[in-house]
Amino acid sequence: MNRNFWIAAALLVTTAAGIIIAQERPTFRVKVDMVVLSFTVTDNKGKYVNGLKPSDFRIMEDGIPQKLSTFSEGNQPPVEISSDGKVKPIVIDPAKPEATRNDAFLGTNVFVLFDTSNYMYKTFVYASDAIADFIRGLDRADSVAVYTYSRNLSRASSLNKDHNQAIFGLRKAVAGDDSALYNALLLTLRDAAKVAGRKVVIVFSNGPDNASMVAPDDVRAVAEDEGIPIYVISTNEVNNDAVSSNVFKRLSSSTGGKTYFARTWQKQVEAFEAIREDLGNSYTVTYYPQENPNEGFRKIAVELIDKDKKLRVQARPGYRPRSGF
Amino acid sequence: MRLSTVFRRLLCQGALVSACSLSLFAQDLATRAWELERKGQAAEAVQLLRQAVTAAPDSANAQRAYAEHLERHRSPETRAAYERLAATLERTGGPTAERAAIQRRLTALDLLAGDRAAATRHLAGFTQVGGTGLSLNAATKPAAAEYIEIPGPLRGFARMAALSPDLAADEILPSLARNVVTNGYRAYASNDALEQTEYLSLVLRYLSQARELEKLAGPDKVIRIAQCDTAETGTLLRIIGYRMRGGCGADLVLETINAPRAFLTTDSGFPLGELELALRTNRPWEMDFKPARVPLLYTRDYWQPVGKGERPDFIDFFVSDPSLARLYIGVAKLDPDTAELLRKAMPSPRFKLFAHVLDFFGSMFRIRDGKAIVPGGARSEKAWADLNGVSPEKGVEFFQRLLAQDDGWLASYYDALSRIQGPVLDYLTEPQRLNRYYDAIRGKVTTPGPARPVFRSNTDMLLLTTRLRMDPDGKPHLPGGIDTWKHLFADPPDGAKTDNKIKKDSVNWKEPDQVMEALFGMSRKLAENEHLKIFMALTDLDRHRTQPLTPQVMEALARNYYELNAQFALLDESPDLSGQSILKFIDTALRVQKIRNQTRRADVAGSLQGLLGLWQIFVRQGTVPREQADSAFASIVSAFDQVENERELFDAGRTGVLALLKASKSDVKASYQERMLDLLAGTAAPSGSAAYQQLVQELIRVFEAQRLVSLDTLFQLADNLEGVSKGQALNTQLAGRLANRMSEINLPQGDLTRAEKNSGAFGYWTEKHIDDQRKVNLRRDIEKAGNNAKDLAELRGALAPFLRDTLVGFNYMHYAPPGAQILHTNPLFVRSHDFIGLIGRDATWRPTELYGSGWPRNAGGRLLGSLVSLPYALAQAEQNFLVPTREQALIWNDLVPQMMLTAVVPRWWNVSQSQIHWVGLHVAYGETSLAEAALSPSIRANVLAGLEPYLAPRRLKTVEEALLADDVPAARENVMPSELYLLARKLAQADTGSPTAAEIRRLSTEESAAVSDAAISRAFGTPKPTLANSYHQELLNLRTFPTLMGYSSRILAESWESNLIYFAALADQIHASVEDMNVLVPEWTQRTLEQIFASHLEDWPALLRSLRVVGDQVQKQAQSQFNAGTSVGGNAQ
Repeated sequence: MNRNFWIAAALLVTTAAGIIIAQERPTFRVKVDMVVLSFTVTDNKGKYVNGLKPSDFRIMEDGIPQKLSTFSEGNQPPVEISSDGKVKPIVIDPAKPEATRNDAFLGTNVFVLFDTSNYMYKTFVYASDAIADFIRGLDRADSVAVYTYSRNLSRASSLNKDHNQAIFGLRKAVAGDDSALYNALLLTLRDAAKVAGRKVVIVFSNGPDNASMVAPDDVRAVAEDEGIPIYVISTNEVNNDAVSSNVFKRLSSSTGGKTYFARTWQKQVEAFEAIREDLGNSYTVTYYPQENPNEGFRKIAVELIDKDKKLRVQARPGYRPRSGF
Repeated sequence: MRLSTVFRRLLCQGALVSACSLSLFAQDLATRAWELERKGQAAEAVQLLRQAVTAAPDSANAQRAYAEHLERHRSPETRAAYERLAATLERTGGPTAERAAIQRRLTALDLLAGDRAAATRHLAGFTQVGGTGLSLNAATKPAAAEYIEIPGPLRGFARMAALSPDLAADEILPSLARNVVTNGYRAYASNDALEQTEYLSLVLRYLSQARELEKLAGPDKVIRIAQCDTAETGTLLRIIGYRMRGGCGADLVLETINAPRAFLTTDSGFPLGELELALRTNRPWEMDFKPARVPLLYTRDYWQPVGKGERPDFIDFFVSDPSLARLYIGVAKLDPDTAELLRKAMPSPRFKLFAHVLDFFGSMFRIRDGKAIVPGGARSEKAWADLNGVSPEKGVEFFQRLLAQDDGWLASYYDALSRIQGPVLDYLTEPQRLNRYYDAIRGKVTTPGPARPVFRSNTDMLLLTTRLRMDPDGKPHLPGGIDTWKHLFADPPDGAKTDNKIKKDSVNWKEPDQVMEALFGMSRKLAENEHLKIFMALTDLDRHRTQPLTPQVMEALARNYYELNAQFALLDESPDLSGQSILKFIDTALRVQKIRNQTRRADVAGSLQGLLGLWQIFVRQGTVPREQADSAFASIVSAFDQVENERELFDAGRTGVLALLKASKSDVKASYQERMLDLLAGTAAPSGSAAYQQLVQELIRVFEAQRLVSLDTLFQLADNLEGVSKGQALNTQLAGRLANRMSEINLPQGDLTRAEKNSGAFGYWTEKHIDDQRKVNLRRDIEKAGNNAKDLAELRGALAPFLRDTLVGFNYMHYAPPGAQILHTNPLFVRSHDFIGLIGRDATWRPTELYGSGWPRNAGGRLLGSLVSLPYALAQAEQNFLVPTREQALIWNDLVPQMMLTAVVPRWWNVSQSQIHWVGLHVAYGETSLAEAALSPSIRANVLAGLEPYLAPRRLKTVEEALLADDVPAARENVMPSELYLLARKLAQADTGSPTAAEIRRLSTEESAAVSDAAISRAFGTPKPTLANSYHQELLNLRTFPTLMGYSSRILAESWESNLIYFAALADQIHASVEDMNVLVPEWTQRTLEQIFASHLEDWPALLRSLRVVGDQVQKQAQSQFNAGTSVGGNAQ
């Protein structure tokens, strides 16, 4: 049968050059989309370093320098970086927000994934309070979604700039039974991946999973590839469940997020505060990757130019380019 | 995508119609429209008819054709079209008979739409033009004798008690009772006392909190908070377990102060967020806290006799007594008239003694005119009287005695026989046999009875009576003949046991009745009834065959039942599979099982099963024609007969692939991989349709996600290696391709910490399989072989594990459930399939099972066992990825995978548009019949008689009461789509007045083969791997089953046959093309599942509600697209 039509269609809809990887059926391609990269810079005391400029950074992919398209710090409006390195504000036409889609970079799209399984039964309401406090403290520009999970995911409140709606959804969460954390996290990442701009997923969980069919490291790979940092607040002690703790640490560190072990309500509030600070003090850049034959994992390095060597950059280590038609 | 296809056709047709509109009136519009429909162009037919109406606004012919067409397709515009026709006929002085007919039709459609006012108006119009015999009843549904109150809004209580908010009022207490019985208590082995579970404890605590809130709400039952800083605010917050932080004003936050109370507040859905916002903004806030009034069966005094002390609230009393709750379930399932008679005869304390029997076996009890209705009718009444000790003439006493008799065994017998009909019922209720078989079931010791556990245990008798087949001579079909069964009882197969008496007697058996007696005797056992299972499985195997299997084959199957029973569904796929092929398969399967090298055994089993799975798919889809099925099967099996090493395994796999491609008449020059994808997508002749392309794309996506190696690469590489053994050079490009593929996958253990590895449960054999593949280095192997021709010739054996994964992967791809998150996310899912199983469990030919879900250390779940039940296992693995749209949902563990399987296994390439239309017409006719039944006692009697074989007495009564109250939508909510279809099958042929019935007759005349019952069963039936040991699509037209112990609810799920019927009718309604159904049905199924909110396992109306929600959404979307499309084309009405 003739599939030329589909091949042509695939070429038309692919935003950048494709590389054929399936030899017999030349329709499956590597898609190279714009990369959104968020990172924080801290000094040797762990304090955030603010006020850096685009020219202070060099972004490398597999050692190949990248040309930045936009740059923003915290929740400040992004700036466009021209080919000569100069910056200019992105003018957003309020009448055509879709046309100037960089408005998506105003604020962060925050997906909260709340464990309502049996494992959280005793701390369910306190956790709910802590999450509500976190949502109240988010920047106005941030959008927030609240998802809950036990055996299945539930979209308690879809992504919305109206934070009250998120709290209403949160406050009506229903306690469930089994815990399928990694299934739910995967579905949350899939939702987050559909949204333009900067996004993070915050997992609030007790740790155990007794119903997932996907492994944490497969889910981690999705987060890496989509550029979505995962923050985890575990309501368990780090030593209580070494396996879950290790998984959490791996998930967050390899996606540019962090894990907090916060058993008490007070610790949970502090963890949320830390995440909020992270979001408010992070830098976000976008770029279209330079030509790179690597179809597998591409390593990202964020280097600081002419800056104190003791500064530390925390970013996701890399990603795999998407496959598709 | 599908709807826009319809558009394009419409727009095109619009131009055509405009061009020839002047000549329309001279032609038979209806015939032209019909011709278009037959070609699958129903949307164009509508357009044609619309154009005709627009072009000739006064033409009754045009309007009639248009309205009737809309009616046949259940269009929401039907009533408006008939209204216009009625006006035209009146204006032009049309014949009174037709005017009456139109008014009648409108009345029925009004009732169907729940528009009673319009129905009254049109009925008056009907009478005005001389119509007679129809009337509205205006009867009100029987009100409950009494209501009870549950504090607070029903929604809050329903959330806490896990009840669907969509439940009908009279279903609330029965559903609550069911939850109390199944979830409310647990027993400890050490004593008989029952202890409340956390579920029930929370319900009771909620009730207590709700009463406090009710008190706060005051006499008018409204909680009012005038402003933030009031005493009421403090009281409210104390009750709900919260306090203010930050004081009144913008900084106010509600935070937990009393966790148990706060939990109840949140879990019951109290509007905490809204309250918090009101307090923060200092606005008044109020909440209606009126108690929910819930109807009670009988009276409160019956359930809660007045004693000396103060009676607790009924709801607390009710949930605190599990035996009372169980009695309530049993009574609620009874036919109401029968229930009333029994109530009068039995006070609740006595009735409670038999609550368990009534719950399991009472739903078919019926008393009419004082007599008990018994299975077998008048002929068997004497036998029932003898068995029960009371004549059915004395209805109430008969059932009182039946409940108490033999600890429930006789009631269970009555129940099983009440659910069947036809020749099997006639056979089993022949008085002598009735007695004889009951003696066998009852045994000598009746305790424990069949109603002891929470789920009924004597499932096997119900299955035996349901699945028994009769031969043309009126005797039961014994697969393999009586001698086979004599041998099997005298010398039981492995894993089967029988008692000595049967063993001894069996030698002298001469009649099938003797075998049946033994089988009935075995059905009372919870275990060790292998003979019965073998009998049912072999009966199923013979059911679809053109020629029954010989005694030799049957005995071989029976003797290997223990090892190979799961594979019977595979052998059932082709009715032409020869006995020789089956014997060969048994031999080869057992040989494979004995391969001592586990790695090789897994590779051989995986390759063979992968190929046989493909054979099954292609035979099912008709891409391997019937006449080729046996030879293809035999070729595959023979190729694996004597596999001794990896090279032979690779060659056998390749032989199998070639046999399949040859049988499917594939072009030998075509790419193996492409051809296989085409066949997997579902047809031997790819149409190039968008639906087809979409299926192929999805297959490729999964293939790539699983990092599988294409057949072309493998076969080219094998040919190249063959050349290498003859001195040619290695094709480095091909070898590199293989190496690249393997470099993309990593072992799951790679990133794990020591603690994770130590606690890991990832399978040893699957991990080794993957690790071995990663180590393949062809260049190194060639160098190592040097000039040794023999070693060089063996090199292609290294490709065997890759070929196994590709073949297994093809099966996974084909059965990928909607969403297929696992297949897209875990690149090792296919490679991890474990054909060996855990130590001590030989899983090679066992059913496919899910293993390793949960716990991060498992590196993801995987499947274990053979591939034979892969569609179900994949659906099972995927079900937790469904995202319920409701805040609380009971996703049925067994029902959901079965429904997903039903969406994936059947494909629509061999279904015709006429067949879709046939189902649509019947559903439309069934609905209209329900509406007409509300208008006429004689039609009502016919309709109820038509439904009686499928609906339990209680549901039938509910339908009758709804019809008597002119509430046709309520009646329709209680008749499942498959039942509507069957009702129409029974009634439509004799109806000469309905245009829908006329079209049914026309189709049955013109396309008799396509719309025969057998063809419709094949097209829209559901696979029933547990109930019928088969993946054949089939409509068994059974009453939906109760929950069954042992078989869990899989059989219950398989008895639900409405999904494809409903979707076919929906497709007919929106004019979807039959090819598009391959894509639409999985999507609609997923949406349906995400809508389900059921309160218990047998909550079928909840399932129907979900179907209707999705159907309404689809229909509205189609209508708006249709209207928008016609507007664009300038063809709007």
